[in-house]
Amino acid sequence: MTRRELLARSSCGFGLAALAGIVEGAEANSLLPKPAPLPAKAKSVIYLHMHGGVSHVDTFDPKPELTKHTGKPLSAELAKIIKTSFIHDPAKAILRGSPWEFRPGGQSGLPVSDLYPNLRDVADDLVVLRGCYSDQFDHAPAIYLRHTGNQLPGRPCLGSWITYGLGTENQNLPAFVVMSDGSTKSGPPAYSSGFLPAVYQGTIFRSGESPILYLKNPEGVSSDSQRATLDFISTMDRMQERTRPDDSTLEARISSYELAYRMQSSAPEAVDITKETETTKKLYGIGEEFTDDFGRKCLLARRLVERGVRFVELISGTNVGQDWDDAHTDLTGSHARMTKKTDKPIAGLIRDLKSRGMLDSTLIVWGGEFGRTPLSQGDNGRDHHPYGFTSWMAGGGIKGGRALGATDEFGVQASEMRVDAHDLNSTILRLMGMNHRQLTYFYQGRDMRLTDVKGDGEFSAQLLA
Amino acid sequence: MRLSLTVSAGVLLFSYSAICADTGAGVAILHEKCLSCHGESSAMSGLVLTTRENLLKGGSRGPAIVPGKAAESLLYKAVSGSGEVLRMPPVGGGLPAADIAVIKEWLDAGAPWSKAAPVTTSQWWAFRRPVRPAVPSGAPNPIDAFLNRKLQTAAIAPSPEADRLTLLRRASYDLLGLPPTKEQIDGFLGDRSPSAWEKVVDNLLASPRYGEKWGRHWLDLARYGDTAGFEQDPYLLIAWRYRDYVIKSFNDDKPYDLFTKEQIAGDELYPNDPQAKSGTGFYRVGTNRDMLFKVEDVNLVEKRMDMVDTTGSVFLGMTVGCARCHDHKFDPVPQKDYYRMQAIFQPAVGERVFLDYNPARNYDISENSRSFRLYQLGEQAAKINSKYSDDLKAKKMAALPADVAAAIGTAEDKRTLEQARIVLDNANKIRVSGREISDAMSKEDKDRLDSIAQRLLQMFTGYGPPPMAPGIVDIGRDAPKTFIAIRGNPEAFGDEVQPGFLTALGGGDVPEAPLHAQTTYRRKALAEWIASPDNPLFARVMVNRIWQFHFGSGLLKTPSDFGTRAGLPSNPELLDWLATEFISKGWSMKAMHKLIMTSAAYQRVPTANAAALAKDPANDLLSHFNRRRLEAEEIRDASLQVSGELNLKIGGYPAVPPLTREEMFGMIGSPANNWSVSPDPSEHVRRTIYTLQRRTFQQPMAQAFDGPDGILSCPRRNESTTAPQSLSLLNSGFTMDRARALANKIASPADAWASIYGRAPSQEEMGEAQKFLDRQITLTGSKTKALAELVRGLLNTNEFLYVD
Repeated sequence: MTRRELLARSSCGFGLAALAGIVEGAEANSLLPKPAPLPAKAKSVIYLHMHGGVSHVDTFDPKPELTKHTGKPLSAELAKIIKTSFIHDPAKAILRGSPWEFRPGGQSGLPVSDLYPNLRDVADDLVVLRGCYSDQFDHAPAIYLRHTGNQLPGRPCLGSWITYGLGTENQNLPAFVVMSDGSTKSGPPAYSSGFLPAVYQGTIFRSGESPILYLKNPEGVSSDSQRATLDFISTMDRMQERTRPDDSTLEARISSYELAYRMQSSAPEAVDITKETETTKKLYGIGEEFTDDFGRKCLLARRLVERGVRFVELISGTNVGQDWDDAHTDLTGSHARMTKKTDKPIAGLIRDLKSRGMLDSTLIVWGGEFGRTPLSQGDNGRDHHPYGFTSWMAGGGIKGGRALGATDEFGVQASEMRVDAHDLNSTILRLMGMNHRQLTYFYQGRDMRLTDVKGDGEFSAQLLA
Repeated sequence: MRLSLTVSAGVLLFSYSAICADTGAGVAILHEKCLSCHGESSAMSGLVLTTRENLLKGGSRGPAIVPGKAAESLLYKAVSGSGEVLRMPPVGGGLPAADIAVIKEWLDAGAPWSKAAPVTTSQWWAFRRPVRPAVPSGAPNPIDAFLNRKLQTAAIAPSPEADRLTLLRRASYDLLGLPPTKEQIDGFLGDRSPSAWEKVVDNLLASPRYGEKWGRHWLDLARYGDTAGFEQDPYLLIAWRYRDYVIKSFNDDKPYDLFTKEQIAGDELYPNDPQAKSGTGFYRVGTNRDMLFKVEDVNLVEKRMDMVDTTGSVFLGMTVGCARCHDHKFDPVPQKDYYRMQAIFQPAVGERVFLDYNPARNYDISENSRSFRLYQLGEQAAKINSKYSDDLKAKKMAALPADVAAAIGTAEDKRTLEQARIVLDNANKIRVSGREISDAMSKEDKDRLDSIAQRLLQMFTGYGPPPMAPGIVDIGRDAPKTFIAIRGNPEAFGDEVQPGFLTALGGGDVPEAPLHAQTTYRRKALAEWIASPDNPLFARVMVNRIWQFHFGSGLLKTPSDFGTRAGLPSNPELLDWLATEFISKGWSMKAMHKLIMTSAAYQRVPTANAAALAKDPANDLLSHFNRRRLEAEEIRDASLQVSGELNLKIGGYPAVPPLTREEMFGMIGSPANNWSVSPDPSEHVRRTIYTLQRRTFQQPMAQAFDGPDGILSCPRRNESTTAPQSLSLLNSGFTMDRARALANKIASPADAWASIYGRAPSQEEMGEAQKFLDRQITLTGSKTKALAELVRGLLNTNEFLYVD
């Protein structure tokens, strides 16, 4: 059978299903779009992970009392409950106010520090969640917890659960895309599909002509040669299939090669930003020294979402280069650097989505695995701090220009509208039209779910109100 | 509708969803939020919330409910905080408002609850000892006798026997994970004796490749990995000794009860046998929670949890892990049972098993002096280097504007905001490269460095891994106490518990160790209790696993869960007969393979007839064979074998094949450290089981093809079909390298067919192949390149990728 005949056949119902990678008949192993079981606010998620941990009291959670108490120790009770990584004894460390000024942003006047001048300008689109907390203060378990609902690796992450629940709109691109600076402190288990089928795995994307691993023809193989080989594979498979009719698995495998072939053209098209206008590129800071890299990632995120990709995660920071976690010894340098790299691109992303009418259907989630201590580590550092920190959300129909929740006067503990990883995840699922209790997968004797037995602090109603 | 939520009184739990459907969300909330303190075994304040009768009876404060009247019900008062009673639950800030509303509604509706009679533990088939059923007549192999009876009842005719090449290929992949060689094919096709098939099976079982295939199944269960996991993911330097122990055990056909005993308690049962002791590496090759920082107390608890959970699911097919926080929802495992089992592992600590006593001791001693000398050499080398780097840096600083130099000169933690910005912008300007140092270095200093290098080389020539294996031992005769963790929180201590066995399986206590013992003998007691013909689950679970790896699916489809949610096996009599047969044949796995593979059921074509398709689409009755895709390792190993490159070396520390930068993207740390490629190229083409299994990084092709991540015990892999699989198989350097290697050895399509499929091409295939070859010769201008394309194509076909 020729490729043309194959494609003709694929356009019938069965072929289409096969293209989505269905296997083993009834098994839930498909990327075909599925309707959300509940009314959905957003169709896609762009998840911005600030790897290493961002200091909340220096960015979105102003603490005048902390500034006043700079140089003084924490109360004995508070010191007792916090564990630290590098600060030897919290009781003997001193508080340190933020070296950055906070100013009101947008019409709403939502305060944002000088680290984020561009995000401050789009403050009216942000809902800042100041009452976030976690119980993990090492990077890897904290990253796993936020992504998969469990501090140990091995469970499916949010992106996998969402694509498992909803499938994806574009079968020629991966459903769930991850872009990072390379090595992370958690490694791939943070974007793994765990016990869900591999089809829900996050796919690493890079810029350039080969955005996906193995997308390019092998070294030294021309595209004509490649096409001929693909056609030969198909011919051989069709010949074999004649003696093995009615096997959907073999049929799906044949189709997966056609999909692979189509990905070879659709993925480079998706990452080709040459057709974007200069104004758009500027909006993201593309072409500028500090913002070029993350700006490109943010622009790609928009382009992917535009093409129906369900979940895009961007990771800022790496454990073999520049990272938010450099704040251990160099708060001012690390946070100046990392915000400089990401502020304009993220604000540009929000503006761009908005101007294209895509912001309402795209949920943006920003945050790190934890915050950083209001206590000083050395003279210019801040340590890991899971007891209270900030995330924010934008888009997805939520009403921005607000801060929800709070930490205490020093920014130590989440005190109002406390939100943990499960609550955040159940809320994201709800905005995507799913109930976290009902999104389950049977594994090892249990109906497993992203939020396990937690996540009942789902707060989408407050975001939309 | 069956229902009941409790256990210790010998009552079974049923499915959560069933509860919801039958009695509404109110019961579900009680069940989820309250049973950890008000289950049958905990019963705080005398209150048990497991049945309507118990609620009506109430606890020390009187009846818990007044059906139809939420406002008067103590339960509602407690959860809503209205009234003078204690607010419940006492921790976690109470129930969400939505749950409280549901409870109110449910109580107002009269607190409906299922009326059906409870089922007792002893009635659950899997918790009773298998009784050997009589074999039906009519087939020489009892397996067929049992299967045929069901097929006859369903009026489905079995599919015919497969041809010899198909059978041989099936058997070879199932037992060895490799395709048959030309000699094996010729031998079997030419052997017309009635025992030809039996000989094939015997020969395959005798191959050392067998342990490499079946050992891999076991390593999946043992969540095996070569690194510790988490942020640094360091090498577990001697984990591979356990891998080799497993492979050897399978090859030796070690009786499964012994294999199990060695893994649970080799140190206590066989203290003088280092090989047997190294079985306890089972508890050391998982994710190492020690890697979590500054939470050693919690890590210790997590480690015990892992030991209990893995023991339960692997050897008993019980998901006891569910009982960590509360009485198990579906199976009769009260929380107390979980902690009784945890108490067995409470005294266990990591140990290096000396495989060879004197060399192992000497290894430690020379390592000791080697380290001391390294301190000296390291310091000396650093001194020589820093002399030059300091100098070069000073020169670069002097050339900078004063404010920049001042900013850089200020200690990192003393810089002002402005200075931090300056450093950010100028960091590159003072960097000193190794090249610059070497250019500046004097001849004398270079010589001194050379001589240090020579001494290092001498110290490390012949350096190898220690003759030690990972294992566990008890810290001594007296174990630390074990307490129930309330709601699974390791920092909330409940009652103390004593070590003991699962009550659902008959229970029992662990005897006190003799006064002068060096160990508690708790694991010995556990091992003997598990690996026993009297244990109702032990034999069944393993024969079901063996069955699954031959037929694609177990007689019970949930291989690590024989609990009440698992349902019934497709052929209960057959499962029980196999379990008793396994025991009577001395727990021999090879005997079980042979029994299965000589059945007619195993030898059928993978094509269903019309009756089978209509009546048994899932093929539970096995009227035909289940086609399967090759596993990740099989794809890699078979590609290497057909290209003639596979290195069949057995055992040893992990081989590390080269990967491209793109393939290593996202790996934790630097690839130079964490993917340190084997210097010897012959190591790159070893069987996949011997390649490095990083806990946080899988080889991309293995990951695409559902390879194990070594994090959770994996009883059955997914078999997915995705575009990334096709991309990797089509475009990876790995496939291309194999294609070129084989292309260099062959002259024609017929050769390619023989190497890859083990058969000659049909005339039609020959025609297509020739057409393709001509086209590729035109495109590539080279016959070898065209042949390589032919091979690459065939390595991507379904005939290569599937076992019929």
